[in-house]
Amino acid sequence: MRSQTDVVTFVNRYRILLLLALVFLFMALFAPRFLNMFNMTIIMKSASLNAMAAIGFTIVLICGHLDLSVSSTISLGAVLVIGFRPDLGWSGAIVAAVAAGGFVGLVNGLLVAKARIHSFIVTIGTLTIVQGIIYVYTGGAALNVTGALDFAVADFLEDPILLFFPPRVIITILVIVGFEVFFLRTKPGRNFYMVGGNRETAWLAGVKADAYVIWAFIISGCAAALSGALFAIGISSATTDLGVNSLMIIVAATIIGGASMNGGKGQVLYSGIAVLMLTVLFNGLNRFGVGSEFRILASGVILASVVLYEAYSNYKKERIRGQRPELLKELDPQQLKNVTSSLKTREL
Amino acid sequence: MSADSSVQNDIGLALEMTNITKAFPGTIAVQDVTFRAYAGEVHAVIGENGAGKSTLMKILAGAFDDYEGQISINGRAVQLHSPAVAREYGIGMVYQELSLAGPLSIAENVLVGRLPGRKGLFVDRSALIERARSNLARVGLEIDPRIAVEEISQHEAQLVEIAKVLGRNPCILVLDEPTSALSKEEIDRLFDTISRLRKNGLAIIYISHHLPEIFRIADRVTVLRDGRRIDTCQTSQTTTEQLVKMMVGKAVEELFRQRDHEPGGEALRIEGFTRFGFFHDIDLHVRSGEILGLYGLSGAGRTELARSIMGIDPLDRGSLYFEGRAVVPRSMRQMVDEGLAYLTEDRKLSGLALRLSVRDNVVASTIPSLCRNGWYNGSAARRITQSLIERLHIYPPKDSVTVANLSGGNQQKTLLAKWLAVKPKILILDEPTRGVDINAKVLIHRTIEQMAQQGTAVVLVSSDLPEVCSLADRCAVIRMGHVIGEVSGSEITEERLLMLANGEGIEKEAGE
Amino acid sequence: MSEDRGTETLREDPAEVAPNMNEDRTLRQNRFSVLISVLGIYFLAGILMIVGVMVSERFLSAANMLSVVGGVTILGLVAVGAAFVTYSGHFADLSIPTTMAFSGVMAVEALQFGIVAAIITGLLVGLVIGLINGFVIGKFRANPIVWTLAMAFVIRGLMRWIWSNRQIYPEVEGAATGAGQHFVNLYRYHLLGVIPMTVVVLAAFAIVLHFVMKQSSFGRQLQITGASFEAARLSGINVSRNVGLAFLICAMTAAVAGIFLTSLSRVGAYYMGEGYDFAAVTAVVIGGVTLAGGRGSIVGVIGGVLVIGLMRNVMTLMGIDTFAQTIVTGAVFILAVGIQSNSLRRLGRDDA
Repeated sequence: MRSQTDVVTFVNRYRILLLLALVFLFMALFAPRFLNMFNMTIIMKSASLNAMAAIGFTIVLICGHLDLSVSSTISLGAVLVIGFRPDLGWSGAIVAAVAAGGFVGLVNGLLVAKARIHSFIVTIGTLTIVQGIIYVYTGGAALNVTGALDFAVADFLEDPILLFFPPRVIITILVIVGFEVFFLRTKPGRNFYMVGGNRETAWLAGVKADAYVIWAFIISGCAAALSGALFAIGISSATTDLGVNSLMIIVAATIIGGASMNGGKGQVLYSGIAVLMLTVLFNGLNRFGVGSEFRILASGVILASVVLYEAYSNYKKERIRGQRPELLKELDPQQLKNVTSSLKTREL
Repeated sequence: MSADSSVQNDIGLALEMTNITKAFPGTIAVQDVTFRAYAGEVHAVIGENGAGKSTLMKILAGAFDDYEGQISINGRAVQLHSPAVAREYGIGMVYQELSLAGPLSIAENVLVGRLPGRKGLFVDRSALIERARSNLARVGLEIDPRIAVEEISQHEAQLVEIAKVLGRNPCILVLDEPTSALSKEEIDRLFDTISRLRKNGLAIIYISHHLPEIFRIADRVTVLRDGRRIDTCQTSQTTTEQLVKMMVGKAVEELFRQRDHEPGGEALRIEGFTRFGFFHDIDLHVRSGEILGLYGLSGAGRTELARSIMGIDPLDRGSLYFEGRAVVPRSMRQMVDEGLAYLTEDRKLSGLALRLSVRDNVVASTIPSLCRNGWYNGSAARRITQSLIERLHIYPPKDSVTVANLSGGNQQKTLLAKWLAVKPKILILDEPTRGVDINAKVLIHRTIEQMAQQGTAVVLVSSDLPEVCSLADRCAVIRMGHVIGEVSGSEITEERLLMLANGEGIEKEAGE
Repeated sequence: MSEDRGTETLREDPAEVAPNMNEDRTLRQNRFSVLISVLGIYFLAGILMIVGVMVSERFLSAANMLSVVGGVTILGLVAVGAAFVTYSGHFADLSIPTTMAFSGVMAVEALQFGIVAAIITGLLVGLVIGLINGFVIGKFRANPIVWTLAMAFVIRGLMRWIWSNRQIYPEVEGAATGAGQHFVNLYRYHLLGVIPMTVVVLAAFAIVLHFVMKQSSFGRQLQITGASFEAARLSGINVSRNVGLAFLICAMTAAVAGIFLTSLSRVGAYYMGEGYDFAAVTAVVIGGVTLAGGRGSIVGVIGGVLVIGLMRNVMTLMGIDTFAQTIVTGAVFILAVGIQSNSLRRLGRDDA
């Protein structure tokens, strides 16, 4: 029986949790005015926008595709929920915004799965199209709500009801955990991974690969729109470029969280935690008094390190792939030191 | 069409395919084929590449929804228009191209499409592991099913693939070249499994190029050629020669070494070549004008050795002498410039850029020498390609054709042309005729002999015994990363090589 | 490595696993599809010209034509370099915008040493970024999209760290030597009084890079690298170097474009060049350089750039506002690439 649980495997598997712990510990120890309820609330609130949107990006990536349109879909959700508020009320407006996001996802999915156009192309296209639609809809100006009742809703969403968790954050956590359980533990959830891991296998096993790809894009659109909508309600206003800065953070977080551009890998929860890690980092740096410039630099360095580390370990792994253990036994211990085994266990 | 000449009466008809035809744009892959398989028999399907075996089996697996003809399973007429439907009817297909998802665990791959559930929606993980483990045990693979498939070796993956299909308890099992990646022990174990399944009343359809295997395992054999069924007969009542004649359509002209000249000076010598865990302490040499066979079972380290010689993979120890001069292989470019050429074993993955034209592929290794002051000489490229197309009879004889649109044999000839264009002093060929039709094979063999005749040192890495025996002047046998023997001249016989490669006393291979 | 390829063999395209390709098929090539894949983009440009003529009589005027070309020269410069990255099978370089901004800012900073020093500094920025990208992606096979994104983060962070949110003005920085004015004039200089120098520079780049791509040893090897990395590597092609060079060329043209853009805007700032990454991909891909690599040409890319310019111009003449224009642009992009990849697939030539 072959299995291996050493430090490297452990670190690799829980990389993102360790990173979060490390960053958090550092900030808690050294950053001024970091470790308090108020600041924790701020962190959770600012993380939740991108964390929820990262669900969709991750699942599309697991299916082996890219969804660059998340950033404008976030803005779309925000703009529509504020725009529809007067006519539909909050609940109706949220449903409409999420449905619009889902529609964007459906279009993406159909173009990718049925028309077989590369997702990179399709979603760059829909990215610009949706951004254009937003501008046309708003005329380029930010939308605001004005009624007193509306502000009450905003306050409810934004004020902590439990420790440092306001309802908006709790919703985000619930949605993420819900999707995590769905993707990890249910049969249709696992099929998303199978489709991304090997489309042909999935198809031969009777898994409708195209449908899963389309659903992944729809989930992505819905999640992005929902996160934008909740955020907009929370601040009672929607800017047309709300999601513009999100794309980079979402991509970075998803990759740091362990998803692969080749598909079949990644976890919604880990992407969310990676967003949280980046937010903690940003926030902590803020407490040091360094500006946003340093945050961008820091997240860039982290992403670059993760990518480099992965590329380098793949590079090393490639060199020893296919080694025969029985041949290695011939070597004396001195030489064996230079040779590492390539076999690792991966969690389901 | 000859009638089904075999007689089966005591056991039930599991599968009947009647007058099956499947056309692709521009070609008819399967034409009017009638095929029967009975429960409790192993029915081999043989034929050259392009004979229609794969297409016929893909129809059975439900890969196409536009075939013509009738299929009935256990006496019921069925329409196999999707893989799901085919599986529903109990057809289990083990593909030649392994269809596993690399990033996912072995367990999920084994149980894909039928993950054990709890409360309907949820996956029962402990049951998943347990079931996967018991499925793997059926093919004799002991491995932690939580390991990702991309972490295991190809022969383990092959067994996982078989375990996956067997786990579905099919009533008709199709095995498409299942042994190509397996070691001898694993083949033995697989054949035990097949025999057991046959006793349990499965109809097993066994596709292979390897005739000895067919005589060992199959009860009946159906020969396809050019999309048509030629004959079906009992394996006990036929011979290799008869089968080959049916496959080829004419008697194969035996290949004999006709070289009369003496090999020249030493072209390449390696001493103490070692890459930890892949091959250890290899000493070999080849003289110009000589064909050195390098025979071994797949996974023995032949390809790895060739790659290290070419500077593709790193080397831990050892020295290499090229025409008596010590050379350290650092990069493939360097070795190609020295006058070495290496024809890789997997033409689709690592040999050819399928989306480019024949010309672009043929000159791929020659580009720097086609350039004057850094600028590319297009007409020279055309000239070289055209002459090689003529020399190797590549069809269609146009250098602008996209390689993906060529047949397997012509793709392989294009790959060979790429390395002939280099005008190598030493030509290393890794499985130069794998998966090509007989005409291309003969032509490639002739070309290899010609090259040797003209003074090129040839290293022929192959697991095709007849090929090695007919071509090689000398043959080294590699097993488990070591050269365990060398034979030359008339000693090169299939029995002797097999015996060495299996590292045992004389192993009687049935039918060989 | 016979036993090691398991997972890679699995990645074969379904279309390839399926039917046995037949030789006859190649001989009956669909001429329309060939035409689309080669000339499609100029066909589209032609249609746009006709629409333009119908929309407004001003369309064909020299002034308008110049404004069409002038509006996309910087994009053109970026695109002819970015095409090499796509051609090498590595999708896109997302660090283009920050490279442009950084080279512009650095050039402005160096203005105190004169205009030549400024330009050289700007180009050096491109060189360094290109070398880093090229080395990491070429040697260690890091995913190009993610790596260049990380680079974009790092460079942008660096810029904002050094200059915070300040914008720097060439006319201020270069006031002492008078180089500031020269720098600002870089973009505005006209040869013979009519042809903008930027267009001449673009033309020169396009011609040289076209021959580099199609006729040089590097370009020919890059084609094979792009079409099949593994096959190229096992043909003895130095794939790491070629991929690295592709990223280097991309960063260099981005640096040139950045200098011009900074000259045009009379200001150097971290946000310069935003949006040029996707715009360049758009031009490159509708110009016929497929994401799968090894296909397309600079001539096509220039066509793609022209189409983008013409589209903007015609839509403006039609009175469509800027916002709606982005919608149309996105739709045309998807449609053009969709038709193209579809026809290539029908020819059995592509899978992207």
